[in-house]
Parts: sequence; structure tokens; C-alpha cells
Amino acid sequence: MYPQQIHEYLRQFFNETNCPIIHESEHFLQIQLTVEMDKKIMNRPFYWRYVESIQETPKPAQLTLITDIRQLTNGMKGEVVHMGSPRLHQLFQVTKELGSYVKMFEQVNREDATQTVLTPWLGVNYQISYSCHQTKEELYSLGMNLMTGAVFQNFHETLTARNLHNTPPDHVFQLPYIISPVRALDRLEDAVDGLIQKQDPSWAEEARRRWKKDQAVLDYFYEGQDDMPESYVLEKQAMAERFTPRIRVDIVNGGLFYLQ
Amino acid sequence: MQIERSTEWKEGFSKRLEDLETWDNWTLYKMSYDITKTSLITEFKGLQSLKYLPHVTPLAHQLEAAERVIEEMNGKAILADEVGLGKTIEAGLILKEYLIRGLVKKALILVPASLANQWVEELHLKFHIPALLYRKNYELDHVDVVVMSLDTAKRSPHREKIYAQDYDLIIVDEAHKLKNHKTVSYTFVQSLKKKFCLLLTATPIQNDVFELFYLVTLLKQGHLGNYETFSSVFSKGRRDAEQDEYLKELVSQVMVRNRRQDTGIEWTNRKVQVMPIEFSTEERTAYQMLSGLKDQHSLFSDAFTMITLQREMCSSGQATIGTLSKLHAECGNLEAAASIKKLILLLERLPDHSKAQKAAELILKADDKVILFTEYRATQNYLHEYFYSKGISSVIFNGKMSKNSREWAKHLFKQNAQVLIATESGAEGINLQFCHHVINYDLPWNPMKVEQRIGRVHRLGQEHDVQIYNLAIQDTIEDHMLHVLEGKIGVFEKVVGELDDILAAKLKEGTYVSAADSRVSPSIFQ
Repeated sequence: MYPQQIHEYLRQFFNETNCPIIHESEHFLQIQLTVEMDKKIMNRPFYWRYVESIQETPKPAQLTLITDIRQLTNGMKGEVVHMGSPRLHQLFQVTKELGSYVKMFEQVNREDATQTVLTPWLGVNYQISYSCHQTKEELYSLGMNLMTGAVFQNFHETLTARNLHNTPPDHVFQLPYIISPVRALDRLEDAVDGLIQKQDPSWAEEARRRWKKDQAVLDYFYEGQDDMPESYVLEKQAMAERFTPRIRVDIVNGGLFYLQ
Repeated sequence: MQIERSTEWKEGFSKRLEDLETWDNWTLYKMSYDITKTSLITEFKGLQSLKYLPHVTPLAHQLEAAERVIEEMNGKAILADEVGLGKTIEAGLILKEYLIRGLVKKALILVPASLANQWVEELHLKFHIPALLYRKNYELDHVDVVVMSLDTAKRSPHREKIYAQDYDLIIVDEAHKLKNHKTVSYTFVQSLKKKFCLLLTATPIQNDVFELFYLVTLLKQGHLGNYETFSSVFSKGRRDAEQDEYLKELVSQVMVRNRRQDTGIEWTNRKVQVMPIEFSTEERTAYQMLSGLKDQHSLFSDAFTMITLQREMCSSGQATIGTLSKLHAECGNLEAAASIKKLILLLERLPDHSKAQKAAELILKADDKVILFTEYRATQNYLHEYFYSKGISSVIFNGKMSKNSREWAKHLFKQNAQVLIATESGAEGINLQFCHHVINYDLPWNPMKVEQRIGRVHRLGQEHDVQIYNLAIQDTIEDHMLHVLEGKIGVFEKVVGELDDILAAKLKEGTYVSAADSRVSPSIFQ
């Protein structure tokens, strides 16, 4: 992410979380945090416990975030934020937490409303990580039609192209789902498994090959010993942790979507 | 293959379906997806860490080293770049990469106490890794990256606290301190689980090839075979060039060693000279009297005592007097006590030491900052006074000084004084690129210590050619020491790789055959 993108991200983040931006230039942002946001990101539980116990008016903090220090010459004080800075990482986590589950409805022109039917979908974004002594990740966005059970890939891209809102449009008929969302979630999991099966397994084979080679070297070192000492057991364990191929599926976010 | 998944999302989703909790914001939902997409690690290979480190521009050899360690060596390596090429940067890159990829959650960094702060600072500023400097009574449960002095870590109760944690990556800086497998440090590091492990040292062999054996074994048991097979194949008597090649090949599988000249950076030259010095007649007499003591009394028949005295005599009268006075106090024999007393009186009357005169001459000629290394603190004091009498300003620097005094001495040297009179125990890890004259006033037995000394000034950021003067008094123990040092350099170059000039440029011309190992083939010097 370039400084400009980060700037845009921060502005949007604080707008969406109702934290007023007090001052702003192209290269910095000064934000008044809300009480909730202060509690989430400022890491000062004692202050909050104190304020609440004596019932004083809370004073949530202000934050100055500098997105491009090279452009600022007037000795501006604040936190420098860039890709990799702990603050940005923290805000990413908060974004993830606050954007996990949605229920959205496609908007329909008023004149078409009565003839339109909205179909329910389950959309889920999966992050898959493959790890051994190295790692790789994939992102899949799957959507299942809760009437027919049909599954589509790149679902998120089709969603962002539509006009969605968190309240249903007036006078539009929403089909009740046939497949329950929880059932659908299980079925999407099977679909993800299917996608994983199609992956080239050579990474795991390579890890096993290296593992075998290292194990042979270790065994040679202790050749002829009947009782293996602690150091052997320890190294063997370290090797297993290093080379065992693992696949992990995490859900980034997902939700119910009523689409035309 | 087993697929792991968490059920957390499903639970939250069910709650919302039952209207127990509210749905989230659509914009934040889209932002979250976008973030995940931008930070996705799409390839097994390559370094992801660079896009998270906008303020670090690693050099080509550092990037290559980091990639090689991760991709080929499975995260277990000895980082053995020459001094001053940025091994810390390489280690930082590797640590960062593993943290980003989630392969390392907890890391333990073991360093000499004097370098601990520097590590913490560099990890913070350059790598944005919130490393914590360990202090007594700290709980380690919630600290992901901890920097600890090796000397603290190996002792109870700290050792037990470490055992209670599960570290994925162990980094040991100045790992040549682990060359002796009988030490507590060695056994301690050996007893740690090493999923990933980096050992940092510019000098993986200091005296003999077994040190390398133990270092590699610490990293990867069995890589060089077990002790019996290794010693039968590689012991001194049986070595030949073919086996050296084989050993070198094996070692290179677990070791990254960049040399200044392969970095593609314009390095300033190193100009190394041995400065032979003649004792004055009085000094020669004193040296001979001293050497004659060993036939007089059993107190001096111990070779170690005698060698110490002879080396001190080559350094300064004061250093010799110190040891002699101690011996005088311990010695019960009247006759021996009398000869010692006589010698001390003679030493006290000696005019300025020939070597000190030579040093002053070199300093005046240099007319610039000079760092001078000696083995003896008595010599430090003597030189400090002597230089003062010659109008040369100097500061003393040694390991006995507190951290603050050392910082202050370094500052004085940079700002005011012309000469820093240092012992190497104090100089470890400090960077003095602003100085480019090094005088090895006396030499240690270990050539890598000389390399470490030179490395204080000949490192990234040095803009001038570095002048190195090795002072040695002719027809004394120091002649012998030069020979031994050269022999040790020979062993290093055969199994680790070439070294930059340490003692003198003549080594490269193959005119010299090692005294320690007469079987050395001359070809290695070419």
C-alpha cells in the first residue's frame, strides 16, 4: 500500500466508525476517537476503569496519524503510519473484527419493485494457508444460491458491482431460503475442500523429502545407540514442527445477500 | 492431509441469524476483504517482508542471504559474513519474514550483554518488531520476541523460564562464544528446541576445525557426522586437499558467508603491515634475564607463566612488573624473590618502551584518529601517560568500564581525542567507521580476534583505506606468535573460505608455510 492508499484507508475507517476527523491534509489526519474506539485501540484499561468508577466525563483520546512524513516539514508531531507499522496492523485487525458479518439487500428501482424477486445467497470469503517450512496463502470468495445450491467463485467481485444496502427495498418480494444458511456453510466447506484437492501437492512432497533427508542425518549421528537421549527427541520434535505440511482454512468474513 | 479450521465464525454467524447480535458495516466488510487481499502471501518463495519495511533498503548480499536461509537451508543457518557486512540485518529480515508468514510466533535472541540494547533498538526502528529487553522478574508468557544476554539466559532461574516457553526461532549473536562444547553456554543452547535457528559469527573457526564441528553440530546434529568419524577423517594428521574440499562443501550447506569483495560494493582497501621492532639493548637484557628465570626456580618453569611474562615484556615494563609483583608475593624462596626484585628494579629504570616509541611515531605520522589495541590494562595506562608526554591525546576503553563510561569514552574519541586505547573485550560490537588507522600494539593468540578488531573500523560506511599496523618485536615470543596465527588462518581458509588480510599481505603470495601444520599445501594461499 502506498502512502496515498493508506491515507484513504484511514479516512474511510474513521468515517465508518464515527470518529470525527478534526484536521486533515494530504499527508496527515487528526482524529477524535469515540469512547468505543479509544477502548479498542489505545490500550489504557486503567484510565477507563478509573473514569467509570468515579463517573467523570470521559475524554477519549485524539490521534494524529502521519501518512507521509517526507512531505511534512513543519515539525508535525504524531504517529508515522506505514505498511508494517504496528498501528496500521492494529487498525486492520479492528477492521476485520468490525466487518465480519453482513446482511445486505440489492436495491431495486421503485417502478420495477413489484415485479422483482430477491434470491437469498450465502457469501463467504475463505483464506487458505498452506504451511510447512514455508507458507503460501489463497483467497477464495464463494457464494451459494440458497434456493438451488449452486456455488459460484469470485462472489465478492460480483457483489461489489451491485448496489447493496443493509435494509430491504420497499415492496420487493424476498424468497425464503430453502437451504438453511448453516447447512449451506457446511456445503461451502466441502466446496473449499474440493478446491484444495485440486492444488498441486508438490510443496508438501518437497517438505517431506527435506524432512526425510534431515531425519537420516540425525539418525546417523545417533547410530548404534539404543536409548535415544533427550537431544535426539528434541531435534526430532523440532523437525516435525518445521516440516509437517499443514493446511488451514480461515473465514475472513461473509454474510447473507438478497440479490436479483 | 489434515485440514484445520476454526468454528469461531460459524458461531458468530448463527447468533446473527437468530437476531442475538447485530450485523456489521458493509464498508468495513469490503475494506477487510481488500486488506486480506493486499497482504496475501501468494508465493511460497520470495521475501514478503520488504513491502512492510519501507525504511530499510537491504543490500543485495543481505537479501540473497535471507532468501537462501529460508528457501534452501530451511531456516537453520550460520550467518558468517565478514565483520561489518550487516549480519544483524540479515537476521532481522529472516525473523520478520517468518513473523509475517506466521511460521514464527515466538523468538528468543541471545546476545552479549553489551549488544542487547543495540539489538532491541534495531529491531524496533528498522524492522518494527516489538522486541523486549529481558530483565529479571519478567514473565515471558506474553512477550513474543525477547532479547536476552546469553550469560543471563543460561543461569537459573532464567533458564527454567525459557524452557517453559515454546520458541520457534532461536538467534545467537557472536556465536563463536559457543565454540567450546564443554561450556555451560553450549549445553544451554544445545538444550533448546530449534525449529528455526540462526547462529551469527564472523569467525566460525578461531583456533581449530573442531570448533566448527561443534558449532555446526549445535545447529544440525549429524551434519558433519559424529565426533568419531569427523575426527578420524579431518584430524590434522590426515587432512588432504580433497577432504578439505568435501568439508567446505558440507559446511557451505549450512553457512552463509559473504566476503567484502563479493558484495558488489566498493570497499576501501585494507593495508596491513607487520612492523618489526628491535628491542633496545637494555630491554634485550631484561628480556633475557626474564627468560633465564625459568632455569632458576620452579615458579617459572610453568610454560604459561613464562609465556605471559615474555608477552608482557613485549608490551610494557608496567605489565611485566604487575605479574612479577604478584609472583614475588607468592614466592617463598628467598633466592628467587631476590632475582624477581632485581628484575623489577631494572624494569622500573627502563626508558620508554621501544614499541611505545614506534606507536607514537606511527600516530604522529598518521596525523588522524587511531585505534590502538592492547591485551593488557597496565599497558593501556602506561601508553595513556606516555602519549600525553608526547602531546598526543588519548582515551582508555576496556571491558571493565561501565556501559556509560564506554559510551562517554567513545564520544570523547569521536569528538576530541586522537587515540582510543582499547582492549578487545571492551570493543566488541562497537562501530568506529570515522577512524581508519588500527594499531595492533600486541597480538592475541587468536587470529579472529584480530579480524574482529579490524572490523570495528573496516565496515560498511568506511570511506578511507584502512591502515593496519601489527607491531611485533623481533627475536621474541612475538615472532612465534605470528607463526601460530598464520597457521590458524590457514585452517580457517581451507574449510570456511578466504579471509581478508589480517596479518600481512604476504600471506597471499604463498611464501609462507604454516608452523602449526607443516602439511598445509601452499596452494591455499593463492
